[in-house]
Parts: sequence; C-alpha cells; structure tokens
Amino acid sequence: MRGTIKDILHITGVQGYIIVTEKNIQIKLPSKHKLARAKDRIRRLYNDLADEKQRPGNVVEIYLKDMIVTVFMNKTTMLLVLSSQRVNLALLRMTGKLTLSNIVKEK
Amino acid sequence: MSMDISGDLENTRCPEIIKILSLGKRTGRLFLSNGAENGDIFFRDGSVIHSQSGLLQGVKSIYELSIWTSGIYRFFVDEAPEMMTIDISIDDILAEIANRIRQMDKVTSLIPSSSTVYMLEPDLDEKEFTLKSVQWKIIVHINGKKSIAEIAQNIGIGISDAMKVFYTLIKLGILKEAGDLNADVSGTIAELPDTAFINSVKNDLVKAIGPIAPIIISETAKDMDIDLVSDDIGQKAALIETLSSRIPDENMSLMFLDTMTDWLKSEE
Repeated sequence: MRGTIKDILHITGVQGYIIVTEKNIQIKLPSKHKLARAKDRIRRLYNDLADEKQRPGNVVEIYLKDMIVTVFMNKTTMLLVLSSQRVNLALLRMTGKLTLSNIVKEK
Repeated sequence: MSMDISGDLENTRCPEIIKILSLGKRTGRLFLSNGAENGDIFFRDGSVIHSQSGLLQGVKSIYELSIWTSGIYRFFVDEAPEMMTIDISIDDILAEIANRIRQMDKVTSLIPSSSTVYMLEPDLDEKEFTLKSVQWKIIVHINGKKSIAEIAQNIGIGISDAMKVFYTLIKLGILKEAGDLNADVSGTIAELPDTAFINSVKNDLVKAIGPIAPIIISETAKDMDIDLVSDDIGQKAALIETLSSRIPDENMSLMFLDTMTDWLKSEE
C-alpha cells in the first residue's frame, strides 16, 4: 500500500505537516509558517484528541482565516497537514488516512 | 502488522493456501474475503488453531471458507487469535475439505449460487416425507424472497451446509426456484454511467463489499448530489472518500482508498 508523506506534499496547496506521538513532535513547515514554532499548542491539541480507542480514519478539519489544518488520528499518532484553502480536501483526506495508516504500521 | 502473502481466490483456493502455510510452518492470520463476507484462519507454527467467519467458529468456519471460489486473501504475519477453537491435524482438515468440495461440486450442478431464491412447490404430489430438524428449520424460512445465504444466516449455519439441505429438498420435489437476487443487481449496474472512472470505482467496490456495490454508488451519489458523469475531480474525490467509509472492513477500506487515490492522481 502506498500513501506516504511525499504523496501528501505533492498535493497542490499543502504547506507542510506535523507528526505527533506520545513522546515526539516532528514539524516540517517553512520556517516562517505561523505554526512552525507552535509545539505547545500542538501538544495541547494532541492531548485533547489522542485516544487509544479511536478508530483509524478519524479526521478533524480546522478552518482558519488563511489556512486549513487537517488533523488525522490513529490510536496515539496524530498527523496534521497544513494547507491553503484552495486544496482538494477530499484528496487530502484520502491520502492522509492512507499515510497515517502506514506510519502507524511501521512504528 | 505485516502482510507477506496475498492474492485472488480465483487463482489459489483456500485449501492450497492452507497447505502452503502449513508446510512453511507459518504463524499468523489468513484473512479471506469473498466481497460479501470475511473470514480468518489463524496458524501457529503451521498448525491451524482457530477460525472465524460470520457466526461460525472452529473447523466449521474453515470448511465454509474452503469452498469460496472468488475473492481475495491476505496473510498477516504473527497475528494471534484471542481464543483457540481447533485441535485437529492439518491432514484431517484437508481430507474433510476435499470431501466437502466434492459434495459442493454436485450441489452447484443443481443450485447456481447461494443468492438463488426458492419457494415451496405449490403442485406437490401427495407424498410422505420424513424431514430432519435442520431441513424443517430451513423450510419455515422459505418465502420466495430470502436467498439461501440469507436463510443460512438466519438460522446460523454455514452457506455450504444450507446449500446441501436445499439440494436434498429440491431433489425431493419440495422446492422450486423463485428467482435470483443477482438479476436485481445487474439491473442496477446498468443504471450507472459507463465511464472509466465509474467502472473503476464499481470494480474495486465490488471486491470490497460484493455485488451490492453498484446500488451503494448510486445511492451515495444521489445523497451527496453528485453528478456521476462530471469531470470535477473534487466531486470524484468526495464520492470515493464517502464510499470508503461505507466499507466495514478497515483493511479493505484502506485498499479501496489506495487504488482510487492512484486513479485520481493519474487524472490530475
């Protein structure tokens, strides 16, 4: 099964991504991006959403003034994809679900 | 969870896969799906220790899975069952499977598929019959609407066992064919537009959820107000995403998403 971070980054409008686990936060965003240094806020979001019992495929979309944050949850791993508002959201959701499923499998 | 063997049941039937996994002394879960139903067979060091398909467990489940002639299989290494229900040697299991396949060949020469619907023969000659309890349990469910598969599910027996009972009842002259549910489905298939995209969605969804797929596509598109002949990539992606959420099996759902994501990317 494919579905990799590279596939997400190839979607037009995607600015970067963040992967959060219980112990780590990996941020891959342009250095000037407003969430590039938002580790504490992201950790709080993770603490609110992470749940062992959650079904893979759960997706939360946060619409901000100038961007969309798409949050994928799978057990205790969270993938956030930051994109412009002109992104193909359905394609992003499909690729994000596959990618996170692969990330969790490889752990 | 890692997967190392997979393929189609059209090319490799279940007994052959069991032999391969047994000879290789493998440990893990063999997942099988015929589109409408799923089943699992668990191996430990090449021995079969548990099986489950629908309401069936143990060897009955293996015998049911072994007669499937279409669908897919995947082997997930090192997955263990929550319980053990089988303590029979592989040789005994394979011998019984071979016996059942022979019986099923005879049955399918008279009954085309488990989706066939039967009704009671109204012009029954006056005869005396002695019925077994399982035959009676089936007769009370026969109404000219329920298929063999549905009746088997209602009374909690395997489809192959139900087909054998139907075979006996037909031979006795108690039942006659009322119609085939597939006829309704093919009518719906014809209603879907004949485009490369829709054909691809339909084929992959049939693999995941069976012949009901065209109806699900049609209903989902209607609910979402999506034009199935539109070239809008956003609409196509939205349709695929919603359809994937209607596939109950998580692995199948991800496989469907995977294939269709590739399809959409090639369109972009």
